[in-house]
Formats: sequence, C-alpha cells, structure tokens
Amino acid sequence: MHFNLPLSKSVVVSHLGLTLMSASTEVQLFIPWKGASPLNLPVAWSYFLQPFSFPGGSIMDETVAEYIRRTVLKMPRDEIKMMLQKWGFLSEAQLQTLNFHQQKDNISQEVVQLCEENSAGIKQAAALDIIYNHIYQNKRMWSVYQMKKSGEEEEYFDIADFKKKFKGRIRSALKNVTITFKEYEDNAIWIRVAWGTPHKKPNQYKPSYVVYHSQTPYVFISASVLKSNLPLLCQALIVASNYRDIREMELRSHSLNSLKDIVFKRYSQNFQTYSPKPVQGWNVEAENADRRIVHENRSVKERIHRLNQESFGCGPQPKLEFAQYRLDTMFKSDPKMDVLDKKEPFRCLVKFSSPHLLESLKSLAPLGMADAPLSPLLTCITHKARNYFKIREKKESFVSP
Amino acid sequence: MAARRGPARGPTGARFERRRRAAAAMAEEPPEDGAARTLPSLRQLSRGLPFGRSHGRLGISASGRLTLPALCSQENLDAQKTAFVLRKAWTLYSVTPLYGFRRGCLRDYARLLSAFIAAEKQKGLAVEVGVELDIKVALSSLADLRGSELDQAGLLVQLSSRSRASSRNSEDKLLWSGWFCSMFGDDLSENVPENFTCLPLFLTHGAESYTALVGSWFQKTFDCCFRRLAISPLNLSWMVAMWAGYKLERAASAVELVFSMPRLSHPLDISYAIHPEDAKALWDTVQKTPGEITQGEVAIFMDCLYAHFHRHFKIHLSAAKLVKVSTGIASAHCDGIVKILHSQYLPGVLMLLTELAISQIQ
Repeated sequence: MHFNLPLSKSVVVSHLGLTLMSASTEVQLFIPWKGASPLNLPVAWSYFLQPFSFPGGSIMDETVAEYIRRTVLKMPRDEIKMMLQKWGFLSEAQLQTLNFHQQKDNISQEVVQLCEENSAGIKQAAALDIIYNHIYQNKRMWSVYQMKKSGEEEEYFDIADFKKKFKGRIRSALKNVTITFKEYEDNAIWIRVAWGTPHKKPNQYKPSYVVYHSQTPYVFISASVLKSNLPLLCQALIVASNYRDIREMELRSHSLNSLKDIVFKRYSQNFQTYSPKPVQGWNVEAENADRRIVHENRSVKERIHRLNQESFGCGPQPKLEFAQYRLDTMFKSDPKMDVLDKKEPFRCLVKFSSPHLLESLKSLAPLGMADAPLSPLLTCITHKARNYFKIREKKESFVSP
Repeated sequence: MAARRGPARGPTGARFERRRRAAAAMAEEPPEDGAARTLPSLRQLSRGLPFGRSHGRLGISASGRLTLPALCSQENLDAQKTAFVLRKAWTLYSVTPLYGFRRGCLRDYARLLSAFIAAEKQKGLAVEVGVELDIKVALSSLADLRGSELDQAGLLVQLSSRSRASSRNSEDKLLWSGWFCSMFGDDLSENVPENFTCLPLFLTHGAESYTALVGSWFQKTFDCCFRRLAISPLNLSWMVAMWAGYKLERAASAVELVFSMPRLSHPLDISYAIHPEDAKALWDTVQKTPGEITQGEVAIFMDCLYAHFHRHFKIHLSAAKLVKVSTGIASAHCDGIVKILHSQYLPGVLMLLTELAISQIQ
C-alpha cells in the first residue's frame, strides 16, 4: 500500500516504534499490511526518516510543552505567526496549518502539538522565549553594568570562545542551568539563563537576561527575582569577556534602547560652549501668524529656550521613566521666617516619574514651571549616565558620591 | 447622585463661641488619667480645625484659626470594633441628612436592601458576571464612632456573599462595606429639623457597582443625596502639616507629598518624601501655639518644603498639583480616598473628613 502523506500530519507508526519527522519532501510510506508482523518488513521501502536517537527522547517533555504553550499565550495574537517564523523551528508548511484566527488558547495548543512532532526540547523553547523578550524588551527593567579591562591588549573577540567560557564558568558552580545565546545584527549578544539549584531543575519562568555588545564594556542585565545568582552571572561575564572587574551603574530603565543611547553616547549631546547668538530657526512669531498678537516677553522666552537647548541638546532625549534623588542636605531658610535651623541634614527622597522623563523635564522651563537653566542635578542625567543619586552638602555646591 | 442644598446654617459667631467654651471646659481636665489615656498627649489632638467654616465655604477664614473641642479619649473607641477601619482605602462621599431613618429598624432595612439588590440583579444589572451569589446584607450601629453626644452613632452596611453551591458552614465572604459617620458634625445637626438623621460622611470599600446599588437604595428610601468628596490641594496641605506634627512612638513611615503635572505633553509625577522626624521638627518650629493651627502656619510649612525643593531642582512645586499626601497616621488622595493607619488618631482624621463633608453639603 502506498500512502501519500500530507506533510502536516505526523504519523505515529506505532507498531514500528518510529515517529515520522517533518520532511521537506513528500513521503511515500509503504505500510505493511495490518496483519503482518513488525519484523517482516519489506526491504524496498522508500521513505525518509530521521535518525532513531532523538536529543530529548521520543516524546517531548511535559514541562517543555507547558512552557512553550505559556510563551505563545503571552504573545499578542496577530504577532504569533511572525514570532514563530523568526523562531524557525516549525517549518513554513507547518505554520500554514495553524489557524491564527481562533482563540489564543487553541492556537497555543496547536503550536505545542506541532512542536511535539518536531520533538522540541528546552533549548528550542528557550530560543522562543528570547525572541519574545527581544521584541518586548521594554517590559523588563534593565540595569547597566560596566566592565573594566585588565590591560590594554587589543583582543579579537571570539564569540565561540566567549560562549564556551561563559557556560563553563556558570556550570562549574551550578549544574542545573539552561543557557541560551542569540546574536542580533546590531552586535548584540543576548544571553538567557534559567537558574536551578543543586537539587532542582532550572526555573524557566524566572530567567535572567543579559545583553552584551562585544565592542563595548557595557552589559545590560534584566535580573530575575532570584538575585542571589547575580554575582555568579557577573563573574561569568568577566571571565568570558576577558575583563577584570564589573560594577553596577546607577542607571535603570525599561527602555533598553535608551540605556544604550545613554552609555554609547548616541543622543545629541548638550553643547558645552556658550553661544550668545539666538538659536536659528526658532521664531516666536512663527507660532502665531496673527500679527495683532505681540509677545511681550519674547526675549525672555528666547533666552529660556536657548538655555534649555544648552542643557538638554537639540535632539530627542533618551527615554527614561524615573530618576531618584536621596537628599542629605541642610535645610536653609530665610532667616526672617524663623523656622528650622538644625545642624543636621533635612533628609528627603525625591522621585520623578514620567512616561518620558527627560522630555518632560525639558518642557518645564518654557511653561514657566521651572527656572531656566534647570538644575544640573536633572540635566546631568544623560552625560553622567545615572538616574539614582545621593546628594550631600559640600560647602556651597552639591556633590553626588 | 447630584448634590442638593442642605438645611440653612446658623450664624457664625454663636457656633464659634460654643466651641471655644467646650474647648476650655475640656482643657481643664487633667491630661494624665491613668491607663485610659494612652495617647501621648490629649492636647496633641487639640489642634485647630483647618477648614474655617465661618465663611460658609470650604476654605480658610480670614483668621483661619479654630480650636478644637477635645476628642473622645481612647476608652470610648474600642480598638476591636474600629479595627475594620484601619489600613483600608476608603472612598469618601458626602451625604445629606436622611429623612425618616429609624435606628430600631435596622433589620428591616437590611431585608429591604437585600431585596432591592436581588431585584436589580434580576433586571440585569449584573454585579458579577457568571457567578451565582447570594448577597447577604447586614446593617449595624457603630455606637463608638461618634464625636460628641450630639452626633449620631455610626451606621455600618456590609454586603457578604455566600455561594449557593457551598454548604452551610462555609464562611461568608465580605464583598463590600460602607459606613456612615458623624464626628463632631454639630454644625449640621443642630440646624436640622426633627426626623432628619445627620450622618454626613460616607466611606466605602469594595466594588463601585455595589456602592451604586447601596447608594441608590438609600437615596430612594431616605431622600438623601450622595456626592463624591474630593479633597482640594489646600486641604491636603492642611492634612499633611497637621499629621506630620503628630508624634508616633515607633518608627513611622515618611511624610510623602505626591505632585502631578498632568497637562504636560509627557505628564510628570513627583514624589517628595521627607524623613518623619525632620518633617516634625520643621513643623514644630513653624507652629507657634500648641492646640491651634493657622492658615499662615500651614502656608509657611509648605513654602519651606517648596523652597527646599526649588533650591535643588529649580522647579516650582507650587505650580504642580498636590494629589496625595501620606504620613504614618493616614494618607489622603485628592479623589477622595483615605487610608487610616493608626487607631489613636482615628477621631481626629474622621473629624476632619466630617468637616469636609459638611462643607460640601452646604
């Protein structure tokens, strides 16, 4: 008997003990007659079959199946197809069989079934998770770390060597980990680490993510809740990248790209030189074509605008969501007011938050809500690459340690 | 729930005078009175009422100064019975006096309200989708929650659910609670004719849909009006100044002011949190007369905070909107949401809120 099997269907030819893998060509399967003993196989079979030994065993692990199902559920429905394509684990033909117009619950079930056909393992599941998190990187909170080099030797960066050393360092301390790498076009290496304990398998639902640009000393880490693994992670990074030391910067945000903009200095920087000429192209009158309206304090407005430009630069600001200042400065008041005159600091914690903090701060002076130039405590955020500050009094000026 | 005007108010001077006499009378009592007065200082609570109603409007009078009748001491307020108030976010409403309310008919009212809720559910005003719930209504009097004898006792309404599927010994789950109260609300009650019950403050915790149900039943039955009680930035600043000055035995949480600048192209929120000891130290130097607060003092306190902030950031906080204040005693949000953390100062906070409610009614 000949069967022309459509490729999407997987046939578990149980009495042969084999699972037919998805093949790139049509398969002609010669199935022995129902009564025949499995051992009496006709020799002349033409079929295309995967090798007998599969990496993860013949049946996909339940935990892997569940993890893939949940990862697909996280995705917005109209993006599932795109992400599965990026993943590349399911063939285009398999993807064609999926109905993306049904409930996500059902879509995810079908995806899991297809993955079962392909015998997905944890490696593939982790790769899918990286793809999701790369696209939705702004859902996570990222911290920035800076590494310091030991010497000045120019070393050629070898990605294979990096991966080997990284995995080696982590595994030497902890056996139960899942480590996955993915490289992207902008020279970013994404690393996903799922942590276990000596006695427990890795928790795939709380992985740490690391983004490393090999040409820079900066690492962006979105640690999971399991903070105890952070030192090991940092160690593995410096070992793998041949650095001497690593320290956490006081810079945190959801917007990974903005963090990169700040530390890679990709934003337009404020001009250090003072330019007395008014900024070209900004005209108060242009705001209002009606000549009957005259701006009384035009020169003030222009001055404010110019000072603002000098502090913040002309281009778009990196996107940060908050800045926090711990103030340990003295309370100074007008002596007439006859109030608090303590010798100890007036302890405060000030937190600014906004969907786009720097643009928000930039808009304050022109609206009259702040003086221009704005305080250097706020304007230094980008070039000092930090949004957590501790301010202490030092004679007349402020210092942040 | 539109507002309606309440009964007319009496002359300013007489009311003011009565309070002062009351304060003087209470002030003569010895502050230390054994274990009953566990408050650090009864006088501590004798702070001026911020909202001078001598001008008939919520805000500050010309003198902006009031002295408070001393509050009920701890013994009157059973901590057990009032524990349900603490650490919950209560949404505030002002209520006009209830007509024809009989304290003895609470059980009947509970039955009627229960029937009303069931009827509304039948009509299709589903409060919970897909869940078969029996709503049980309980009305009870809170005899302790009152300021003076002139106040009506508080009234508590609780909605609990008992799933039909469960057995009789399953616990009732509290779905929603709301309580009416009047804490030194004499201003309102003394001018009100017979048959009216004055409980100007209404606090709710639970789903909005239940609040609407209970509110509409009360409106229909007692011909009263509910209105959401917003708290202006001015009153928030009074609250934070007052509460920052209270002493708390153990380490308290920070005195936090939250400002918002919503109309920017990218809205900005600023949280300004001050160490409670430092905030109290500042307030203590500002306040000149114990037992009294003036508008001037509150303004100075706020100006100091604004100035300190401006010195560092060059931002004028006074141009922003104060939306929330939070201290170890209580926190309040401008949308009319409060959370009370300390039973010790519960009367004081309730008195402030009663005052606000009355001002909104009148």
